[in-house]
Amino acid sequence: MQRNTTADVRDAGRTARGYAALTRRSLLGGAGAASVLGASRLARAADHPLKGQSIHMAILGIAGWTPSKLGVDLAPDFKRFAKATYGYDVDFSYTEAPFSQLFQKAATSLATRSAEYNIIISDSQWLGALAQPKWILPLDKYIAQRPGLNVEWFSPVVRSAYQAYPDGSPQRWGLPQEGDCMGLYIRKDLLEAPGEAESFQKRFGSKLPVTWEDFEALTFPDFLKLIAFFNRPDKGFNGFGAQYSREYDFISDPVMTLMRSMGGDVWDARTGQVEGILNTDGNAQALRQYKDLLRFEPGSAISYGVAELIDAFTQGKIFSALQWCAVGPAMITDALRDKVIVVPPPCFPTSSGKPVRNYIIGGQPWVINAFNDAAHREVALDFMEWWYTPETSLAFARHGGNPCDKATLTRADFDSIQPWFRTYKFMLNNSSDFWHDPAYADLLSVQQEGFTAYATGQASDPKHTLDYIACRQQKVLFDSGTAAKAPSAACSGIRL
Amino acid sequence: METATATRAPPSWATRLAALLQRRSVLPTLLLIPVLVFFIIWNTMPTLWLLGLSFYRFSLTSGRPPRFTGFGNFQSILQDSEVWLALSRTFLFVFSAVGIETVLGLLLGLLFWGSQRLPGRRVALTMLFTPMVLTPVAAGTFWRLIYDPTFGVLNAALRGIGLPSVNFLGNARTAFGAVLAVDVWMWTPFMVLMTLAALASVPKAELEAAEIDRLSWLQRLRLVILHHGKFILLLGILLRTIDAFKTMDLIYDMTFGGPGSTTELVAIMLYRRAFEVFAMGWSSALAVILLLISIAFTATFIFVLHARERRSQDVPT
Repeated sequence: MQRNTTADVRDAGRTARGYAALTRRSLLGGAGAASVLGASRLARAADHPLKGQSIHMAILGIAGWTPSKLGVDLAPDFKRFAKATYGYDVDFSYTEAPFSQLFQKAATSLATRSAEYNIIISDSQWLGALAQPKWILPLDKYIAQRPGLNVEWFSPVVRSAYQAYPDGSPQRWGLPQEGDCMGLYIRKDLLEAPGEAESFQKRFGSKLPVTWEDFEALTFPDFLKLIAFFNRPDKGFNGFGAQYSREYDFISDPVMTLMRSMGGDVWDARTGQVEGILNTDGNAQALRQYKDLLRFEPGSAISYGVAELIDAFTQGKIFSALQWCAVGPAMITDALRDKVIVVPPPCFPTSSGKPVRNYIIGGQPWVINAFNDAAHREVALDFMEWWYTPETSLAFARHGGNPCDKATLTRADFDSIQPWFRTYKFMLNNSSDFWHDPAYADLLSVQQEGFTAYATGQASDPKHTLDYIACRQQKVLFDSGTAAKAPSAACSGIRL
Repeated sequence: METATATRAPPSWATRLAALLQRRSVLPTLLLIPVLVFFIIWNTMPTLWLLGLSFYRFSLTSGRPPRFTGFGNFQSILQDSEVWLALSRTFLFVFSAVGIETVLGLLLGLLFWGSQRLPGRRVALTMLFTPMVLTPVAAGTFWRLIYDPTFGVLNAALRGIGLPSVNFLGNARTAFGAVLAVDVWMWTPFMVLMTLAALASVPKAELEAAEIDRLSWLQRLRLVILHHGKFILLLGILLRTIDAFKTMDLIYDMTFGGPGSTTELVAIMLYRRAFEVFAMGWSSALAVILLLISIAFTATFIFVLHARERRSQDVPT
């Protein structure tokens, strides 16, 4: 970082004429986007409107979420960069709230047109709820003006999940703070213990998956064999752990993953239709399947959220965990450093013979407060531009964050930087988002209630549970004007 | 005469102010003004705002301005089966919690009252009152950990005596009872305190007279102790009822209303609709309904409390 900063200082000393010449030379030389970024920065550096000023920036981020915090931990580098490149002083403050309360904190502030938080680390599904009332800055104009923001992403899902609203539209409202996907964390020391492979072969007549490639090919039915094999409560550990908590979207993400990977869907994003799409027999089977996994999990798994799952895994209570790549630094503690392998979670066989993975994507975009004054908006954009420089992106990766830009993810050494990076990269192309709708919170609340009701035994019929959820979600979307159709007559008086 | 008139100076502002303050109504009014201003700003105005908002359809995240719907929100709430379920769950919680706390509080209060010379009484009382002074969030957090089937001390104890682990908060059959037990643990001391206060209000002479008259223990309790202490006890029950009706923080921390909706009391539902879904009009209407229910509770208690007095006043002498 320091070397680049020095280079920037040198660059900043050049004249605008020199910049123009440099740009021409760079373009003619085919140096590409990196040079355009440098040139663009130099143009602003020559006469930056904030030169000589001091600016304070407030970031709202996610409590207990390492990549979110990294955005601020790396900010001192930007401070040096901004001083050297643009000539202004900047300092940052960081406010945080857990996932389940972050949107509440942001929304209540933004609803009063406050610039209390200049930059917000939002969850991807909130884009609609933040963009619809015009609380956040539409970014297309600024991306066009600043080549440094026009990043080539590793996968198209980055744009659809972290930037676009409405779904499928070209309009962009966010920029990826960090990407995230589900990975399967496996206790490699247990997997490779002497005698396990032979024992597995003897019991199931098939080879025990051991390598990353073995897991890439592992289907869900074979995965069930694996976690059944390593489910050893008598020895103090279970075969598997996943999230079932009612908090936030903890149970919804894996259940929707199963539904979509088994051929179903949760809604039609174009028409807002839920009934008839969510409440199908196939999705009911997926919901039942997810509950059945509890057989291989500790008794407390029914209450697991992200943090509880980390605890169970790091304390040796489970052999494997379906968990976000973003929490890799917390999942792979120093004590587990060489004892864990992060692999792709199982794929699902289809009638065509081609296995499918359609996992829910995680990750969070940066969004910029629309009520910022010009100075804070300018600094926020400078900060974003700095965030996507190859050096910052690499530093972020080395600190444990998941970048999304193609330049970093295609580096020859990328997979080896962190133990989960190979899986993260692989899963980016096997994941997608859900509901970028302003009614997201309402849809989620109903779904969390329904899924946990079924998982915990309050409701016994998965199909009826889905009927209930579909009816209520259809009403939410109809009332908000997203869905053209009202709930059907079958929804009248439906209860869990 | 002329000279006298000329030398009489008009009263100074200090004299006039002193005279004004000497009037009976002025000073109390002046002293009340800061409280009244505070009350109007922080209580009356938000309540009126809440009332006004309850007649509008307004979602914070829709980007649309509020739309007047008359009683639309109230109608929607009354037709919503989930609200009725949450209300019935809340009433079950309130009656169970307050009932158990009252009985236990009364028994423990009598026990402590009757053992005033017992060594260690003060220490025991202090320990007994500790749960009441904890914040519900702290209590909820450590009870969640105590109940945890993997790491929790309660399940460790169960396993220690050869019983299987129980997922108290994760099982739809046990979650409600587990949360209720924590509320009882927290608030029984309050009813003990009210019982002790009620017992302290009983005149010693009447107790001695009851003893001389050889009234049984139950008769003494009914005719002397409860006769004098009922106002304080009912006040305790009233306060607990209103408080239990609003229970939110404890459940938010322990179960978040789950599993499913088994512990979703109406205050949790209100919180979720207001601050997760941001349906501000609908939530305001529900808050107004809950306010009316709380007022009804208070009115009923006061009515019951004064019923006997009214009856005795109505009897012709």
